[in-house]
Formats: sequence, C-alpha cells, structure tokens
Amino acid sequence: MDIQKKQLLEFYQQMVTIRIFESRVCELFAAGQIPGFVHSSLGQEAIAAGVMACVEKDDKVGLHHRSHGEMIAKGADMNKMMAELFGKATGTCKGKGGSMHIADMDLGILGANGILGAGYAIATGAAFACQYNETKDIALCLFGDGQSNRGPFHESLNVAALWKLPIVFICENNGFGLSNPVKEHLATDCVSDRAAAYGIPGVTVDGNDVLAVYETTLEAVDRARKGNGPSLLEFTTWRWHGHFEGDPAVYKDAQEQEEWLKKDPIPRFAKQLLEQKNATQAELDEMQAKGEALVDAAVKFAEESPWPDVSELFTDVYDRQM
Amino acid sequence: MQMTYAEAIRDAMRVELKRDPKVYLAGEDIGVFGGCFGVTAGLLDEFGPKRIVDTPISENFIVGHAVGSSACGLRPIVEIMFNDFIAVCFDEMCNQAAKVRYMFGGKADVGMVLRMPIGAGIGAAAQHSQSLEGLLTHIPGLISVIPSTPADAKGLLISAIRDDNPVIFYEHKQMYGMPGEVPEGDYTIPIGKADIKREGSDVTIVTWSWMVQKSLAAAEKLAAEGINAEVLDPRTLIPLDKEAILKSVAKTGKLVIVHEEVKTSGFGGEIAAIVSEEGFDYLDAPIKRVAAPDTPIPFSPALEQAYIPSEEKIIEAVKALF
Amino acid sequence: MVSVGIIANPASGKDIRRLVAHSITFNNQEKVNIVQRAILGLNSVGVEELIYMPDYYNIVPRAMACMPGDYKLNIKVIQADMVMNGIQEDSADAARLMRECHTGCIITLGGDGTNRMVAKTCGDVPVLPISTGTNNVFPRMLEGTGAGMAAGVVARGLVNGSKSIQKNKKLKILKEGTLVDIALIDAVVLKDIFIGSRAIWDAERIKQVVVTRGEPDSIGISAIAGNLEPIGTLDEYGMAIEIGQGGDITIMAPIAPGLIRPVPIRNYRLLNLGEEVKVSNGPGVIALDGEREIEVGENDEYFIQLTLDGPNVVNVRETLREAVQKGYSRMGNL
Repeated sequence: MDIQKKQLLEFYQQMVTIRIFESRVCELFAAGQIPGFVHSSLGQEAIAAGVMACVEKDDKVGLHHRSHGEMIAKGADMNKMMAELFGKATGTCKGKGGSMHIADMDLGILGANGILGAGYAIATGAAFACQYNETKDIALCLFGDGQSNRGPFHESLNVAALWKLPIVFICENNGFGLSNPVKEHLATDCVSDRAAAYGIPGVTVDGNDVLAVYETTLEAVDRARKGNGPSLLEFTTWRWHGHFEGDPAVYKDAQEQEEWLKKDPIPRFAKQLLEQKNATQAELDEMQAKGEALVDAAVKFAEESPWPDVSELFTDVYDRQM
Repeated sequence: MQMTYAEAIRDAMRVELKRDPKVYLAGEDIGVFGGCFGVTAGLLDEFGPKRIVDTPISENFIVGHAVGSSACGLRPIVEIMFNDFIAVCFDEMCNQAAKVRYMFGGKADVGMVLRMPIGAGIGAAAQHSQSLEGLLTHIPGLISVIPSTPADAKGLLISAIRDDNPVIFYEHKQMYGMPGEVPEGDYTIPIGKADIKREGSDVTIVTWSWMVQKSLAAAEKLAAEGINAEVLDPRTLIPLDKEAILKSVAKTGKLVIVHEEVKTSGFGGEIAAIVSEEGFDYLDAPIKRVAAPDTPIPFSPALEQAYIPSEEKIIEAVKALF
Repeated sequence: MVSVGIIANPASGKDIRRLVAHSITFNNQEKVNIVQRAILGLNSVGVEELIYMPDYYNIVPRAMACMPGDYKLNIKVIQADMVMNGIQEDSADAARLMRECHTGCIITLGGDGTNRMVAKTCGDVPVLPISTGTNNVFPRMLEGTGAGMAAGVVARGLVNGSKSIQKNKKLKILKEGTLVDIALIDAVVLKDIFIGSRAIWDAERIKQVVVTRGEPDSIGISAIAGNLEPIGTLDEYGMAIEIGQGGDITIMAPIAPGLIRPVPIRNYRLLNLGEEVKVSNGPGVIALDGEREIEVGENDEYFIQLTLDGPNVVNVRETLREAVQKGYSRMGNL
C-alpha cells in the first residue's frame, strides 16, 4: 500500500505528542497536581496513532480507561483534556469525568469507561445507529486483554456479527489485566482466536509497528464501511508502567520488561523514516519540539484554569433541573 | 376510547413509531412472538424488522446498546422481559445510562426508555415476580415512571419516549388486561406530576402501580365505615411530586404508603422520610407503610397471596390511625 | 537416544489475510490437538525423547496436560534450553538447537514463514511440516497421528528412501554477494515501501516473482508460476517472472485464499539451479514465502539465486508406505 509522506510524518507527530503528554501526566500525578487515578498508555502509542488515522470525524469510538492516546489521535483538544485531568472547569467534560471517564461527543468519542467491558455494548449500539441511519459511519470499540474476559464481550460480538454491524473490535493486548499476565487470565491466550466463534475475521498484529496497525485497521474499517460486518483485531504491545500510576508493578518480570522496552515503537519508526529518507533528523526534532510545546501549553492552560463553581455539582444530572 | 393497559402501551409506541423515524423497539421476543405478555403484538407487521428488533438473550447488550444508540441520536425503547432481570444488566443502567450525561459534562443525551414488567400474582415465584422500582431510584440520572391506569400508561410512555433522559417504565403484569378510557392519538402526561385518583379528607394513601387499584377498592370499603381516604398516585417516583404529597398530607393529617415492593429500603421509606422532614407539623398520627414482607416471592399460590399486600391490610393500616 | 523435535508457532494463521482474503483463523487450541496426536504417534513407534520449542501459548505442555491418564507414555518430553522472545527467530533458534542435539526429525506446525525460519538452521535434519498457516505450499494439511508415526520412523533411521525424504530447492537472497535471507517457495518484489502487516494480497503491487516451484492449485504467489507452467518439488529448475503490462499473457491465479486475480505477465523464464536474478531497483520490499521481509532502498543491489540445498522434507505417505514394506507395521517388528 502507498502511504503519503504527510501521513507517515503525522504518525510520528501523534506518537511523540502522546508520549510527551502521557509522560507529563505521570509527572504531574506524582507531584500531586492530578487527582484520582491515572492509567498510563506509555508504550502503546503506535496503536492510538495507527488506529485513529483510519477513521473520520463522524465515526464513533468507544474506549477503555487507558485511552488518552486515542483521544489525542482522534483530534481531541489537549488543553481541555489536560484541564479535565486536573478537574478544572475548562475540561473536556467540565471536570466531571476525569481521566477514567473522559469523552468528547463532538468527535464521536463515546467515552473512556471506568467499567471495563461496559464499552462493548455502547460502541455496538453506536454501530447500530450508524447502520440504522444508513450513513457510511462506523464504530470502533477498543479494549484491553483483561476486559476481553467480561461477559458482555460475547453478547456484543455475537450481535454485531449476527446483524453485520459496522464496527471494528480492537484489543490492545498489553500483556496484563491489572496484575495478571495474559497466560494467567486468558484460557486461549490469543484474543483474536475468539473471532472464530462469531464467524468474523480475527487478526493478531504487532501493535508496536504503527504501519502494521494502520494497514490492518484500514482494511477492517473498509470492511465495516462496505457493510461486510465486524472484525476482531488484536494488537500486541506492552504496558510500560503499572496498571495505574503508583502501582509499583512488582508482578512484572524485569527481563521481560527490558526486552519490551527495546521494542519501543517510536525510535523504531524514526529509524524507518530516516532510512527510507521520508524524514530528516531535523524534521523529527521539530516534531518532538512541537509536541513539547503543545503539552507545555496544555499544562499551562490547565494550571491557569479555574475550578468549577460548586453549582456545577447539580447540573447535567438530567437535561433539566428536576 | 376503551383500551386495556397493554393496548394503551402499544398505542403509545405506535404513535411514536409513526411520528419519529428515530424511534425503534428492541428486546427479546418482541417481534413475531409479540412480547412475553403480548404488548408488542402486531408491531412487527406494521413497522417491519428495522424498527421492531428482536434480540438474542443478551440483557447487557440490549440495555448497553441503547445507551450507545441514543447517545448517537436514536430513540430506543428497549424491553427487559421481567424486572427481575435488571440484576443481569444493572451496570448498563447504574454506571452507564445514569451517568453518561454527567460524566461527559452535559454533552450527551441518553434518550432511551427501558420497559420492564413488575409484580407478583401469576405464580412466577422469586425470579420473575419482583417489584424493584425502588432499586434504581437510588441512582441519580435515571427517571422512574410507574403508571397505574391505561390512560396514564399511554400518556406517560409518550412523554418518556420524548424525554432526553434515560427513563425506566414499570408495567404491572396484573394490569395488562385491565380496561380503561384512553385518549386517542397524541396524548402526553407530564413526567413528575402526581394524580389524585380519589379525593378524600381523612387520610392520604400514597401508592402506585397495581396497589393504586387495591387502595381504591380499600378506600370504597373505608368510606362505608366513614373514613374518607384520598388516594394519591405519584405516577413517577423520580422525579417525585413532593408538593402534591405534602399538600395532601397537610389536608388529611395522616399518611399511609402502600407498595408491592418489600418494605425494607422500599421507596415508601423515602416518602415517609420526606414527609417527616418537610411535613412533620401536618401529621397527627405516625406514618404507616403497607408493603410486601422481606422475603423472596414464594411459588405456592397459598403463600404468594399472603405475600402480596391486600385490601384488608390496607384497611387495617388506615384504621389503626383512627 | 532417538529424539524428535517439535516447533509449533503460536502466531501462525492469524495475519491480515483473514481480513483481506478468506483465510480462517487457525486457533491455537487446534495446534495443541495436532501436537497431542503427533506425540501419541511418536510414542507408538518408539521415539524416546521429544524436544520442543517453548512458546507463549505453551502448545506442547498443554498437549501433554490434556493427554488421557490411561496412556502410558514412554517418550520423555523436554523443553529446548533457549530464550523465548516471541519473535519468528525463535523458530530458527530452536531448529539450530535441535540439530545440535542430534534430533532425527523436526516436526513443524506453522506456515511457509515458520518453515523458512526452520530451514535456515536445521541443516540436514529432515523436516516434517504440518500446515497451520494461511496459504501454504511448503507444509501440507496433515493429520497429526500419521505425521508423528512418520517422523518417528525417520528419526529411528528405519526409513530413508528417496521418495520418503526429499531434498528441496530454495532461494538465496544476496546483497552485494552476501547471503541475507532465504525463501523456500517464493521471493516477491513489491512496490511497497514498508513491511507493515507483512502479508501480500494485492496483485497490482507485485513487480517481480522468483519461485522454486508452483502448482496451479497452490495458494499464494507461487500459483502465478503454477498457472504459467507448473514446476514440481523435484524439478531441477525454478522460474523468474516480471509482472506488469506489456506482455502477451494475463493469467488467473489464486494469490491468496479465495482471491483469484488476473495477473498480467510482462515476461517469464525458467531458472536453472545456481542462476541469479537481479532484483529491480528500489525503493521496494522483498517478500519471502508470503511475508514482507526486506525493505530495499533506492541504491541497494539484491540478487535472488536458485539452489538445491534446501531442507530434507519427509513425505508422510511415502515414509509410512516404506515402513509397511519393510514390515514395521507388524507387531513386534519395531
């Protein structure tokens, strides 16, 4: 497949921006500036960048709660995102959602979800709406290997396959369901094997290779858009940090962690760009600097934003005051 | 015109299916089979399989997909075959439907209706007979509608379908065949308005669903004994028409609450607390509750009849205040 | 000590061709079942030791764990002493180790890609390839039981006929005279610039094809050769094809499962053993046995050479026929 240079550079920009954003979020959390829970997606940037390049603004996306990267790659405003993580009034959700429940309906983002496994049916419902409305829009449903064990996985994949809904189920297999390594929580180890149960394509691809992620997702999205039904994609990757910030991840094997850090998707892609002369080192540096500047601005915006007024506690429970 | 409770519900859905192409029905066996209690009979023939969608036995999916499809602009009316099954899909209502608007900073309308039959008396025992209307009133973000007559059922259901919030619509199995006068065509009753089903001066009976019918019968017998009871049907538990209740209690000075839910943590406790807090001075007797005992619902007809609050128990409770 | 190796690739049969073609998902439990039957086959013909490649799915240990309790297995099952990295080079590492341990046969479960890795290091140790991949030409769809029995008699040295164990051709990929990689069936030069999801399914992206063999019913790029002029395993020649407009022929070929596509042939020629083909100028990608592997830069110079030093491959039917002929199927003769 041909990929324009512009798209290749866009992948790189997205990945470094997400890396910088997530790194900064971890620092701010450790410093006590971000309250609550933060689940970092460090190491998984290639999936966010590769997947979101395949969808349009009106396509719907259901997320899990390690999803800052996907939000950024779908085009969410990073200033508002950072403010949301801080709990500020200017946040994407007025500071009412936070990291685990961040959403942006204007971009078709149906929310990160604090309840792992709740997103399947919601995203499938969105795909139902796309089919019902006879638009060419599709839905993506992202989830982790751990939550692939929830019962609703089966209900939604069964119905999506039965009704040929325009949806792509995407598993980010990052090796762990909280502290449990895949071999201790998945009977079949490979999530994509389950596609056979629903008679849909199941594919496992290197999730640290942004081009492989992109190419695979593009085909699955195309299949969904043409009305040929859902697919189950599995992108293998590695969660660099603990389940949440502050989790010392004592359950991780040090050698395995070391091996995976070597598979960092960003330098790997940079090398490819340089070797194929699709980018110069100066261009890469420039993208890095741009990412830094965007995240600096986002932090500044969040820090300077006001706290929500206490009256906001009572709004948005219903569409009107009850 | 004369219609049964079930026909009135069907008529409301028909009116809305005709008026708004975004309205559709989804649930188990609602198509060819016409619903377990025949409520949706004939709608498949009239509106076709796109609008009347039979689903697999997948309650997580049924309710969860409605959150997604309504957030994307559709107007789903989903049916769970028995109220008891809410336990299977509690997350979808409690953590998803109820909270999406708030978590997303007001950016999502979850304009869905969840229909569920409640009630004992048909020998269906512990898992197909419960009245759990109090359960979800504890979750802010949900509306609870619980009609006691065919006309109320139609008018409130049309309002529920047009509401931009998730509405739970409780239908009592015992009343499906009950006839009554129902206005034709487009007929709405505002959500949150109580209805005085019988005017009286000596005691207020606050009650809903099938217990309204039992309380009305009890009131007639009490009248023969010189006690003039006012029967007030709040019709919606959330939002609750507190003013109407307080106004009635101010008039009569006595309050009996009747519901088919079990007594402990039933919604009657909430009403008693409200009247104690805000209408204590109106009371000249303790508040009485008539409710099902704190037991599972037994199978044997002999035991089941003892379980359901009866006219006699209502009469007894009222008389105890004089 | 009569020893057999098993290399079962947990990643085979899961690539993008399930989306872009009509391949099935080959689930890992099925591989466990095949291995279980193969072990019973090995045990039945008196193989004493099985060395297996460790993998993240634990295919062999799972097969052993679900072995019925009343089977009295004499075979010792040992994990190869190697580091598992979860990458395709694991298969090459395992095969090297098995060769060094003097195993008498290596059973592989995977596709053409898996066997390519094994062929790099297995030397003269006979290979018995079972297909669990996508569009396989090198491995066959085989029942595990017979495969185990055949591998066993080969490992014991009871069978060695030229029909039973066949020397295969291969392709060497040379960069400035140095061997950089090999292919067992086909090397395909593509217009792509990156490896990405590895598979090939778009005929329009193919520039050049070199094959060791190809049959009309092969699935994959070698089917292009098979539909021009079939070439068998034992034929001492291969084929080089240039794809594109400007020739007289367009053939139909199943280039992936269910994808039968017109392929315009600019020209083609048979290739003798030892002959080299120059890879057309980059940028491009060379795919080996169905997987995009080598990114070719603008100024890189690559050659593809046909040779006869590929792996020795066990033909299950011929091997067991030879065993029957020699009387080994009669009780007491093994």
